[in-house]
Amino acid sequence: MSASSILRRKLKQYQNFILATLSFIIPLTVWSIVSYVPYVWHPKVEITVPGDVSYFSEGLLVDREIFEREKANVLAEGKAIPEGLPANPIYFPAPDEVASAFYTAFVTEPTRRNEKWLHESLWDSIKVIFWGFVISSIFGVPLGVLMGTYRIFSKLNEPFIEFFRYLPAPAFGALAVAILGIHQGPKIAIIFIGTFFQQVLVIANTTRKLDPMLVEAALTLGAKRTSLLFKVVLPGISTNLFRDLRILLGWAWTYLIVAELIGSSSGITWFITQQARYKNFDNVYAAIMMIGIIGLSSDIILRLIGKHLFPWEQHKSLS
Amino acid sequence: MRLTIKKYLVTLVAAFLLSATAQAADPIRIGYSDWPGWVAWEVGIEKDWFKEAGVKVQFEWFDYVASMDAFAAGKLDAVAMTNGDALVTGSTGAKSVMFLINDYSNGNDMVVGAPGIKSIKDLKGKKVGVEIGFVGHLILLNALKDHGMSEKDVELVNVPTNETPQVLASGQVAAIVAWQPNSGQALKLVPGSKKLYSSADKPGLIYDTLAATPQSYSARKAEYAKIAKVWYRIVEYIQNPKTHDDAIKIMASRVGLKPKQYAEIVKGTKILTLKEAKAYFKKADGFKSIYGSSKISDDFNVANKVYKKPEKYESYIDSSIIDKM
Repeated sequence: MSASSILRRKLKQYQNFILATLSFIIPLTVWSIVSYVPYVWHPKVEITVPGDVSYFSEGLLVDREIFEREKANVLAEGKAIPEGLPANPIYFPAPDEVASAFYTAFVTEPTRRNEKWLHESLWDSIKVIFWGFVISSIFGVPLGVLMGTYRIFSKLNEPFIEFFRYLPAPAFGALAVAILGIHQGPKIAIIFIGTFFQQVLVIANTTRKLDPMLVEAALTLGAKRTSLLFKVVLPGISTNLFRDLRILLGWAWTYLIVAELIGSSSGITWFITQQARYKNFDNVYAAIMMIGIIGLSSDIILRLIGKHLFPWEQHKSLS
Repeated sequence: MRLTIKKYLVTLVAAFLLSATAQAADPIRIGYSDWPGWVAWEVGIEKDWFKEAGVKVQFEWFDYVASMDAFAAGKLDAVAMTNGDALVTGSTGAKSVMFLINDYSNGNDMVVGAPGIKSIKDLKGKKVGVEIGFVGHLILLNALKDHGMSEKDVELVNVPTNETPQVLASGQVAAIVAWQPNSGQALKLVPGSKKLYSSADKPGLIYDTLAATPQSYSARKAEYAKIAKVWYRIVEYIQNPKTHDDAIKIMASRVGLKPKQYAEIVKGTKILTLKEAKAYFKKADGFKSIYGSSKISDDFNVANKVYKKPEKYESYIDSSIIDKM
């Protein structure tokens, strides 16, 4: 068996499934060990009995050394000894705390009339991403393909796009608010700015990678410009283009956290920043997981659509 | 059958006309953010009191700085901000009129010392984490002044206010300056840390207000008067022991906290009754008047090069609605 066939050996379906499950179980196990096994990390002590230390109170988190020092102090003075349990910093909640925050966040009924259910906030966020990405793609995909196919388009646009992609999208927040108002408009604009310029370059690059033999063959056979573009280039890059878009969609999500702080506050990332401000980190991680789950599910759906659209690609992929 | 169609058409036309007239008077757009004195507006929104008072408002929930940006961009008719920040926002072109004082900070803004630092005097020659040029900086200057010291006696480290708890915990500074919830978080996060000075030592240093654009204020003053009326209904609802808990519940849900947690934070904010607000709207020097307080903010802003020329702070204040109540 040659080296490359070992590396690229096709795995059986059940093996794939086991590996995919493990890829989640391993980090979860590490997280659980650090959370539940005492003194793996646990740099803090959570006070259960304050004893005679003046500033200790029940539930307070103190550094382990401080706890030991204060304990030694009161012991020397013959006063009541404080007691405590090993704990992690509040920035590092345990899996069960995050899981219960996850559940609670969905079932908590809004207390005010104009408050939203969590799934409604999530839906708002998904809409922002969707529109930002769709608008970006409407312009970005054709431009990218043109730039990758015809040198004149690439020379005309690429220098400026290369420049603009370095400009930080969030910095356009105030301008976006001034032009587009305070609701969804400026948020979508930030996603657009964050996605579009990368998108054009990535797609132009993908287009350029099309096998030149194909183009040459088409030209030899007498293809005209438009038919070259629509009959050869587009079908030729379609699979890679679809994959690019999948990756770029993930990119768009990373801009959501800044986008949703622009204009009036809304959506899931506003929930994250607000809860972080009040140090409710179980809620913060629960919300981060929600984004992860939505991202992964949309990616899986897109991958399935891809399989359906490009069935000939399957044998090439590693999985 | 024909009658029903006719009826249907009539209703349709009526509905159309109604919506057209409704559109004629756009709601007053108000930006508000996470500070107890402003979160209080939520009570009026939840109870539909603006509708009862016959005024159309549209409250927009923001991050504080984002709300002032939106106001400056002309996307809001009024915004909840401190008197000092009204001057800062005005210096860059977005003038405003403060016609309502919600509260003054009464302990929520603090200087928090690391363990071992017992008073402001202990800070001599040490590092203090503060967001330079903003409210916290102003508090610090006053704290130093009250203890016979000046800014030269300490070394300032520029820290965003929401990161101050971690900075204090890191042990790299001797004290930080922050407001709630950050100040409370710092005290909780760093055992043995101590409140050295707070806005309760200097009530009136920071007034929290509702400020409108001068155009909208002069054009729709009657509506702003109705908004002020609703405000005092809210104040009554918060201060009445019978309804206090319900008010806190509504406010806590706005910021995503449990009512018990939020009640603590509300305590450090002195929400003013009409009578109190009238007194603070009188012209005087010093912190007992919004005029005096704004003058001090103005001097501070010029001294710290937040803006170059003094603002005409008196033009930012209009007590005529409150005086008539």
